[in-house]
Amino acid sequence: MLEEDGRNHTDRMINMVLVPVRCFTCGAPLGHLWEKFYERVKNGEDPEKVLDDLGVKRYCCRRMLVSHVQLIEELVHYSRPV
Amino acid sequence: MLGEVTGLKIKILEYDDRSIRFLVENIPLALLNAIRRLTISDVPSMAIDYVYFIENSSPLYDEIVAHRLGLIPLTSDRALEKYGPPEECRDNEERPDCYARLYLEAEASDGTKVVYSGDLVSDDEDVQPVYKNIPIVVLGPGQKISFEARARLGRGREHAKWSPVSAATHKYVPQIIVNSEKCYGESCAKCVNVCPKNVLKIKDGRLVVEDELSCSLCRQCEKVCPTDAILVSWKPNSYIMYVESTGVLRPERIVLEASRILEEKAEQLLSELEK
Repeated sequence: MLEEDGRNHTDRMINMVLVPVRCFTCGAPLGHLWEKFYERVKNGEDPEKVLDDLGVKRYCCRRMLVSHVQLIEELVHYSRPV
Repeated sequence: MLGEVTGLKIKILEYDDRSIRFLVENIPLALLNAIRRLTISDVPSMAIDYVYFIENSSPLYDEIVAHRLGLIPLTSDRALEKYGPPEECRDNEERPDCYARLYLEAEASDGTKVVYSGDLVSDDEDVQPVYKNIPIVVLGPGQKISFEARARLGRGREHAKWSPVSAATHKYVPQIIVNSEKCYGESCAKCVNVCPKNVLKIKDGRLVVEDELSCSLCRQCEKVCPTDAILVSWKPNSYIMYVESTGVLRPERIVLEASRILEEKAEQLLSELEK
């Protein structure tokens, strides 16, 4: 997707390509929970219960995991030239 | 304004590795709030500040990898005594007691490979990532990453990565008074259903306050009561404080360090005034 200024949309999104290390709002570390969360939700568990189980209490932290889309596996083949 | 603090009492309500909740009695709000704010902005902890890249052919730019590295919590309980103070160590890489070094070298041969915080090799066993499975970067086939990172003590006022807390709050101690002569009890029970924190219960046909401390003083029960039988108020000069650590320091240590820093600042002010 190209923006109006000719830049590629993915350039702006790149730091959301991989799960954030911490919650943007409160700073609680979350990066280590992503893989557990993703696996369990993929296996059919209710995201609400998984988050409760992982101890993610506040809604600022919960939206970090619930709304995350892991795109890096798609982008990994397009490495920038060294 | 503060006067003398007398009869201060502390009762710990909840405590685990990551967080502490305690009740403080007979303390002025200004004093407690000063401690709370110091836990956020002034208690030092370790975090990566410089990254020297040797090789990086991953899909993420050096800056993004460096930013992610900075956010990884590092254990600091013993580092507080070991390393130089933030003010003297900032941009002072020559000083030997300022920086801990962490190294990482990874290469994906065939498939993709996730590089985790646990792959960092630290030259100081007291400065290690708190969580071992935070993804730093993903490498595609044939991609490499190699760098040296330097961590130092810093304060939250400089960058949020050095703040040792993810939540530091205080609230009033709720007091809910039920006038049993006016209350209809079980036949009404409107307040029981409206309370978002489930503080009120009906027991043996009568209204009882079951979990007073978790009340958020929203006063929905007061509003819904047809006979004004409920009064929500709070105790003067008593507060419930909650501190949640990011894992870098033990929660009680954060509060103690903040109190010590406040004491230091007060003494500094006095000595400046006496000059």
